[in-house]
Amino acid sequence: MIEFYEANKDILLFSGAAAVKVLLFLGGVMSFTALLTLAERKVSALMQDRVGPNRASVFGLALNGLFHPIADAIKMILKEDFVPGKAEKLLFTLAPFFALVPVLALFAFIPFGDYVMVFGYQLELQIAEVPLALFYVLALSGLAIYGVFLGGWASKNNFALLGALRGAAQMVSYEVVLGLTLVGLMMIYGTAGLQDLVRAQGALLFGFVPAWGVVVQPVAFILFLIAAIAENKRTPFDLVEGESEIIGYFMEYSSMRFAAFMFSEFVEIILVAMLAATLFFGGWQVPYLYDTGFILPGGKALALNHYIVAALQVGSFSVKTVFFSWFLLVVRWTLPRFRFDQLMGLCWKALLPLALLNILVTGAVLLALGKIR
Amino acid sequence: MISVKKVNNRPLNFLERIYLPEIARGLAVTMRHFFVNLFNPSGMPTVQYPEQTRPLPGNANLRTRHRLKVRADGSPKCVACFMCQTACPAYCIHIEAAEYAENSVEKYPAVFDIDLSRCVMCGMCVEACPEDAIAMDTREIPGGALHRGEMLMNKEGLLRNLPGEPSTLGASNRLANEYLEGKK
Repeated sequence: MIEFYEANKDILLFSGAAAVKVLLFLGGVMSFTALLTLAERKVSALMQDRVGPNRASVFGLALNGLFHPIADAIKMILKEDFVPGKAEKLLFTLAPFFALVPVLALFAFIPFGDYVMVFGYQLELQIAEVPLALFYVLALSGLAIYGVFLGGWASKNNFALLGALRGAAQMVSYEVVLGLTLVGLMMIYGTAGLQDLVRAQGALLFGFVPAWGVVVQPVAFILFLIAAIAENKRTPFDLVEGESEIIGYFMEYSSMRFAAFMFSEFVEIILVAMLAATLFFGGWQVPYLYDTGFILPGGKALALNHYIVAALQVGSFSVKTVFFSWFLLVVRWTLPRFRFDQLMGLCWKALLPLALLNILVTGAVLLALGKIR
Repeated sequence: MISVKKVNNRPLNFLERIYLPEIARGLAVTMRHFFVNLFNPSGMPTVQYPEQTRPLPGNANLRTRHRLKVRADGSPKCVACFMCQTACPAYCIHIEAAEYAENSVEKYPAVFDIDLSRCVMCGMCVEACPEDAIAMDTREIPGGALHRGEMLMNKEGLLRNLPGEPSTLGASNRLANEYLEGKK
């Protein structure tokens, strides 16, 4: 036993650490998703001068609606799991998995902290360290189209198919913009690994401005946010669902299969929030906080314990994620839906040229500064 | 003469066409509501209904739960003429008539049920009543119930006088009573 451990020490420790990280990080994401379903209703209620859900109670304790996600889950599980008679059974069953799995897999590449020292081992706070994580992110988010399209097509319902067609067209189009907005970041930081990208954002510009993505690539940030909301299929880009017209690709779904689609949508909100934080707002970086503690631009320093630094960094990442999730909810409940031709026009006639122009300008500036030859 | 409202559909200017400043303005509005309501929840107009209620307006148009008026001797004013049951558009009134043993020229309702789960609170029964025996002025609003039976009101539940009633005189409504008082 000991010999086996000694012989395979590296792989065993790696697997154990990865399992713990997956459990902690994905567990956190899942519980935040459940809370987000409540937050969506509460935020929209507060924006419309309403109180929102506050009646679900356990032993008379309502806690201002905190039990509503549990009540929703119980309701979803108890509902009839209906499959239309003409539906393509296998694909109809698989579609919710195709919607949910790629989205959940994407969290493996997101760094939620720098590293912590555990018993002398340096534990990276990222589930999978992939040098080209940005491309993986784009590739996996491209896979999410399968869930939408299979769901719509396998239902054998014309309205569902219409929603699926819209979804495929929309997601393919905005995927292009999403990819192009990230090119500028790769040019500036010279890396496509998310952890490296975040570490590079810890540098200072002119000695006092943190070199966050939003500072060096403000246009790319706005384009990324628009494209990411469109990828997320939420208002103002929710023509895929279009609940007042076609009801969307998951029209024939009920019970937990429908819940899987809804859940993947809410997980995507968190994903977009995390990506926005990671790529453009320094990820886990706290301004002027380094391994040893705070070092302010004036030269003043405040030494901090390693674990306090790590906690501050993970906390900073969580706060940024929560903020962007909230911001996406507010956007969703503020803007009206686009028309489909407007949606396509916006992508191909406005966002795509702007993204290309952004790359051109970034390249020109880098050339002028002598960063590339 | 149909009045026409002219809407000034001027073309959008450049800033409005690129939409982002307008998005920021829209977000400012919704975020203001969000934060005002977040930090001052009591400022919202919502009332947690069954636990909290608003004061009712005291005007004559107010229609609340029904009651049957009672005479001074304790008998119902209702003479079981079925006018209200006939007038009711929701078919929610059920009456069974009976006769007084000692006074066989007048009827009374042996059964008078109102199914509040079907009642549309239209007040037709009050208008139809020739005896002014049914009224909708209890100022109680029929709320939800866990079982249909709880929404069914019978004669015992409906018979009730408000303070100041009944008149000791015989006529059926207050105006007539005042007239009779004046004659004395």
